[in-house]
Amino acid sequence: MKKLVQTFAVIFIVSFALMFWVQRLNASEGYAGGNTITVYNWGEYIDPDLIKQFEKETGIKVIYETFDSNEAMMVKIRQGGTSYDVAMPSEYAIQKMKEEGLLLKLDQSKLPNLKNIDERFLNLPFDPDNEYSVPYFWGTVGIVYNKKMLGDRTFDSWNDLWADDLKNQILLVDGAREVIGFGLNSLHYSLNDKNKVHLQEAKDKLVKLQPNIKAIVGDEIKMLLVNEEAPIGVIWSGDAADIMWENENLDYVVPEEGSNLWFDNMVIPKTSKNIEGAHKFINFMLDAEVAAQNAEYVGYSTPNKAAMSILPEETVSDERFYPSPELTDRLEVYENLGQDMLSYYNDLYLEFKMHTK
Amino acid sequence: MKKKSLSTIYLTIVFLILYAPIFYLMYYSFNSGGKMYEFESFSLEWYKDLFQNTRLLIIVLNTIIIALLSSAISTILGTIGAVGIWHLKKRQTKNVLLSLNNILIVSPDVIIGASFLIMFTIVGIKLGFSSVLLSHIAFSVPIVVIMVLPKLQEMSSTLIDAAKDLGASNFNVLTKVILPYITPGIFAGFFMALTYSLDDFAVTFFVTGNGFSTLSVEIYSMARQGVSLTINALSTILFLFTILLVIGYYFISKRNGRIIGLGARK
Repeated sequence: MKKLVQTFAVIFIVSFALMFWVQRLNASEGYAGGNTITVYNWGEYIDPDLIKQFEKETGIKVIYETFDSNEAMMVKIRQGGTSYDVAMPSEYAIQKMKEEGLLLKLDQSKLPNLKNIDERFLNLPFDPDNEYSVPYFWGTVGIVYNKKMLGDRTFDSWNDLWADDLKNQILLVDGAREVIGFGLNSLHYSLNDKNKVHLQEAKDKLVKLQPNIKAIVGDEIKMLLVNEEAPIGVIWSGDAADIMWENENLDYVVPEEGSNLWFDNMVIPKTSKNIEGAHKFINFMLDAEVAAQNAEYVGYSTPNKAAMSILPEETVSDERFYPSPELTDRLEVYENLGQDMLSYYNDLYLEFKMHTK
Repeated sequence: MKKKSLSTIYLTIVFLILYAPIFYLMYYSFNSGGKMYEFESFSLEWYKDLFQNTRLLIIVLNTIIIALLSSAISTILGTIGAVGIWHLKKRQTKNVLLSLNNILIVSPDVIIGASFLIMFTIVGIKLGFSSVLLSHIAFSVPIVVIMVLPKLQEMSSTLIDAAKDLGASNFNVLTKVILPYITPGIFAGFFMALTYSLDDFAVTFFVTGNGFSTLSVEIYSMARQGVSLTINALSTILFLFTILLVIGYYFISKRNGRIIGLGARK
């Protein structure tokens, strides 16, 4: 009995000593005291130095958490156990979150740096007048190909993917709207097409692509392309920029028929406890120099016009990531298709996936 | 003779397979290049990174605090529970209670985690340290009960009769006879709860929030963003730490002349 009591007393004393230590560490890091904001972002989607800079400038401590899909993020925010102050959802998620009342309205008077954003990226259909969101990064969907493995071949059109000699060479990213989307694009239809005849046509065309498809994969597509497991991949421009950095043989192109234009945006979820701090953070990220540094670190395209004038000329003039105005005109933002149409897209995609070679 | 060497070979192969991934991971923690292939040159930069990372240190400490506190509290609760179940006269109630206890052990962590999340949200407990601690205590209690109960059952009832004959009060019987007898079981339960709490991922993943994180959850979210070799460095240190614990445990139990419970199994 004595031994038991002694042991447990020691265990409790050790735990409380450790707790005291953690408290001290937290205090020295500034996490205690309530002046914090919690930022909820995609993995590897910010330059960590910028967080430190923000903390230094404002005295607000940033607790940084990451998510890997819009859906997971929405669940956490809906559930409300954590007081996230800033989150970075994609545009279709914003529409949904708005409908569910998960977002707080932005006070634009506290965001003077909003003027830095290119007008092309303001007042978009998913959030008129930017009441709830500010664009963070944007990009396209296109084709990554390996110059060393394919020789001189180029991909100007989505239809180039259907070439007979590309058997088992293509990796697709696993997303219904992305895959059905380029099917529609290859037929010169809109990405938001609701005509079931057109959609069926796109699916039939995609089925013909099956012999060329090696695999339909998730995030590991980046690794597979870097390791040259396959020469061609259909992926998002940001991921493309990432892997082109790692493997110099890779190149990226947005086919001429057009493609998807997507946005990740900064919003303030309704869980926010430090709305003032959240505005400060968003405004900080909109600063020209900060946005430029961030864009260089992350490799995605920034919507920040003032930042673009700071970025090196070769980055901004790279039409693969900052497409020419003519091409931009052919890029489309995903619209909310409504539940029925979305499940029709998903069904078609599933049919396509299940179709054996 | 031949049989013996065959079994040695078999044993060697099995242990090699079991330990190879861990050593592979440790080997690359010293890679100066950032990848888990193509060893470039020896470097300690990932360890340096690790020790400069206060956030990670806080998380390691939090993990240890949660493990120690939750297993200590659940050991106390579980032991009381086991004595209670053992004390029951009616066989049927006993069986029902035991089954209810076992169901909690067998049911998947995901379900336990999700139901805790729902409960905490309804009750309004803020996700973070307290929610993680509470859920860890909850899933550890049944384990402790299962570890302590056999000790109670193997105890001869004559011991208690004798103590009572000699004038011991109920409290004396508990503290002077029962508890000393089942001490090995209690320690075994404590160590089991400790290991369960340390490597629990699913439950913690659901109920954590507000920046609070334990190691398993943190490593998972780090790994999702592409495996950084800092994780390898951290795993190496944890592995060495476990080995030290096992060795220390071995010497302590050797000095005491017996193995305290089943803690050594892990």
